[in-house]
This record gives sequence, C-alpha cells and structure tokens, in this order.
Amino acid sequence: MNFSERFSLNFIEKSRYKYLLDGITNTLLITIVAAAIGILLGFIIAVIRATHDRTGKLKLLDLICRLYLTVIRGTPTTVQLLIVYFVIFSSVSRPMLSAFIAFGLNSAAYVAEIVRSGIMSIDTGQMEAGRSLGLGYWQTMGYVIIPQAFKNVLPALTNEFIVLLKETSICIAISLRDLTYGTQLISSQTYDYMFPLLAGAAIYLVIVILLTFLFGKLERRLRQNER
Amino acid sequence: MSGKKEKQLGEVLIDVKGLCKDFGDNQVLRGITTQIRKGEVVAIIGPSGCGKSTFLRSLNLLEVPTGGQIFFEGVDITNKTVDVDKMRQKIGMVFQQFNLFPHLTVKKNIMLAPVKLKLMTKEQASRRADELLERVGLPDKAHAYPAMLSGGQKQRIAIARAMAMNPDVMLFDEPTSALDPEMVGEVLEIMKELAETGMTMVVVTHEMGFAREVATRAIFIDEGVIKEENAPEIFFSEQKDQRLKDFLSKVL
Ligand SMILES: Nc1ncnc2c1ncn2[C@@H]1O[C@H](COP(=O)(O)OP(=O)(O)OP(=O)(O)O)[C@@H](O)[C@H]1O
Ligand SMILES: [Mg+2]
Repeated sequence: MNFSERFSLNFIEKSRYKYLLDGITNTLLITIVAAAIGILLGFIIAVIRATHDRTGKLKLLDLICRLYLTVIRGTPTTVQLLIVYFVIFSSVSRPMLSAFIAFGLNSAAYVAEIVRSGIMSIDTGQMEAGRSLGLGYWQTMGYVIIPQAFKNVLPALTNEFIVLLKETSICIAISLRDLTYGTQLISSQTYDYMFPLLAGAAIYLVIVILLTFLFGKLERRLRQNER
Repeated sequence: MSGKKEKQLGEVLIDVKGLCKDFGDNQVLRGITTQIRKGEVVAIIGPSGCGKSTFLRSLNLLEVPTGGQIFFEGVDITNKTVDVDKMRQKIGMVFQQFNLFPHLTVKKNIMLAPVKLKLMTKEQASRRADELLERVGLPDKAHAYPAMLSGGQKQRIAIARAMAMNPDVMLFDEPTSALDPEMVGEVLEIMKELAETGMTMVVVTHEMGFAREVATRAIFIDEGVIKEENAPEIFFSEQKDQRLKDFLSKVL
C-alpha cells in the first residue's frame, strides 16, 4: 500500500475522519469547560488563600482550600477521573460530565496556586493605596490587585491550559470519544496505528501552537500599557 | 512673609489621645497626644525609625493602634463599629513610593475611587480629573500610564488622585524622599499651593525648608512620644529638648 492508499483507508473510507472530528470537538469542549471551571474556582481559592496569607483572616476557608489543594495535587488525574466516572456517577454513564468535573476540579487546584503567587507578588502598597482612597478590601482586590496579578501570571496560566488540553487524552480510561480515543477507533478498524496516531499528534500540536499564539497576543496586548 | 500666619484656625479635625502602637515587643508609639485643626499644615519630623510613618498611618487606620483613641471629626475611629472605608474617603493619603495603579491610565487612576464608590458619575469624575490634572500641571498626561512618568510626575498624579475624593485632610508620608533631587521642588510646589487653598495637611518630611516655610506647626517625635511641638519660627530657632537640638544640628 502506498501513502495515498493508506491515507484513504484511514481517513476517507467510511468517513473515518469523522472519528477525528468528533474527537477534536470533545477534546476542545472538555478543555474549555474545565478551564472555565478551573479559572472560576481557582481564582476564588487564590483570593481566599492570599487574603489569609496577608491578613490572617478566613482561617477556616483557607484550611478547606489547603486540604483541597493537597488532595487534588497529591493524586493522579487519571484516578480522579475514574473516581468521578465510576464512583460518583456509578449508576449512570456520564463520561462528558465526569470529564468536565474531574478536569475542572483538577485544573482549579493548579490555577489557584498560580494566581495566588500572582496576587502575592503585587506590592502591598497597591492594597494600601486602594484602601486609603476608601475602597473596600474586595473592591481593591477586584479593581486593583487581580487585574495586575492576572497579567503577571498569564504565561503560567497558558502553560496550565496547554497541560490540561494534553491531559484530556486520559479520557480513554473512561472510553470517552476524545481525539486520542478517535485515533484508536480508526486503528481498530484499519489495523494501522501509525497514520491515525500521527494525525492525532499533529492535531494536538496545531491546537497547542494556536493556543500559545492567542495567549501570547493577549499578553502583549495587556503589557503594551506599561511602556 | 507667607500668608500662613494670618490663617484662621478652625475646629479640631483630628484629636489624638494617648495613641500607642506596639509591633510585638517593639513599642513604637508610647502615648501621642495632639490635636490637628482645620486648615493646619503640620510637619512631623524625627529620626529614622522613630515612628513617624506609624503615627501618620494610624490616622487613617492603615496601622491599627494598640492603645489610645483617635477622634476624626468627633468620631472615635478606633472604635470597632466605625465604617473605616467611609472614614478613609475623607482622609487623603500620599505615599513615599507613589503607589499609583500601574495598569490604569493617569486619568483612570484619578477616577477609580470616586466612580467605584458611586460618589460621582463617570462624567463628573472625568471633569474633576481634568481639573486636577490642570492643577498639578499635567493635563497632557491624562492618557499616559504611570510607567511613562518621572518620579515627580508620579507623585503629582498621586496627589491629584487623593484630592479627587475631596478629602477633609491630606496625609503625606515623605512625599519627596523617593525622588531625584531635581524633582523635589515641583512636588513641594504643588503641596504649597494645596496648603494655600486651606487644605488641612499632615506631612512627614525631611524637607526642613518646607516645614519652616509652609507648615503652621512642627512636631518632633522621638522615643515614641512628641518631644516638642511649636510654630516653625519658634521650633527652628529655640528648642528646649536636647535631642531635637542634636537632630536639627544634623539635618540643617
Ligand atoms: N509592620 C511592621 N511590623 C513590625 N515592625 C514595624 C512595622 N512597621 C514599622 N515597624 C517598626 O516600627 C518602628 C517605626 O517605624 P516607622 O516606619 O514608623 O518609622 P519612621 O519614623 O517612619 O522611619 P523612617 O524615617 O525611616 O521612615 C521601626 O522600628 C520599624 O521597624
Ligand atoms: Mg517612614
């Protein structure tokens, strides 16, 4: 078989490319939803932890957050995914929902620590300036501290979301038809591993390059204010 | 002769009674008692580490006193039930390190608090900002970011930002100490103009010229207490306290 015959067998015949298309859709959907959950929850945890670090308040919430971070970061993502799918949703098969939740909660832990370090890197004079104008603590957080912290940690966040995207490939463990599983479905019909896998790898790569480009653009846009 | 001596002193704005502040074992303030009246310009001087900043920052509760009372416009602000944010709206503060918000333009720095606190509409705040930028001589910098400004310009903007809230008193913590020498004058000039409008000011400073010329009263803090306070013309010519004598002989 020559190249074009193999290509046709793996991707054209019986519209097998659809396995890849559906896979891309699911992979991106999981990444986006998980990132959204991760950002929302991660920022909340970061602000709670940073507030505790700086003021000594919110002791109980901080303790809960620390416990959460320890558990999430101390266990493998695959195990977390399996627990959500097989234990929490044991009676119903909800692979997509399980992936949203597992990856979202997982990402939140990493986002939280990135954002917290960003908040802690902002000079205390910024909080004092906001407060001395009569702004409340949370107002100053929202209008003064977080925007600066976000800008500072954007590269680290980009990195986290790239890791997240690639890590969704473990969805194969719960037979969720993501991009990686799509390549395996094709292989199981064509008995060809190389073509589908290389295609899958190339697609991941292109998405990562695109993501990097977009975040880089956003970062430059935010930074151009400064000089 | 400056006009300051003709100034009618108003009612008591800030009444400090036995103010104490410890940092752990370090007793920084050991009972400071003084009154600041409307229209006064009070210069706070003293050796490094004597607690000048701590005193000033206590006045708007950036430092929480460990003893004594501070009455602002008749209200004891050391009382836990006081709305600290409301009180701070009336007390402007200018920092040594400017502390401008680097992610906002100059104009947005000035507009942020009045708008977010719903004291002015965006349009009102914008007009007020233009007016203040004019007053500090930087109308062309409205859309610049703080990083593009010189130190002196930054401090003038910081003064404008504090004034945007229409405070009843302005606190300055060594406003010119972080500046290159050639920029000190422009900031002191703005402060002098502010004093001439009748603004009540408390200024921690090493600028003895400013204290002598603009202040209506000078306070010497040492070993956690006020060792001496007087009108500048007396304060700088005849001192009772030996440590003040030594201090002035070193800095003058
Ligand atoms: N947050 C803090 N925690 C612990 N100690 C502090 C704190 N802030 C100030 N101090 C201590 O309190 C004392 C007075 O400090 P303060 O900054 O008020 O002095 P200062 O008179 O303003 O000095 P300078 O002229 O150097 O600015 C110093 O010994 C300082 O180490
Ligand atoms: Mg100081």
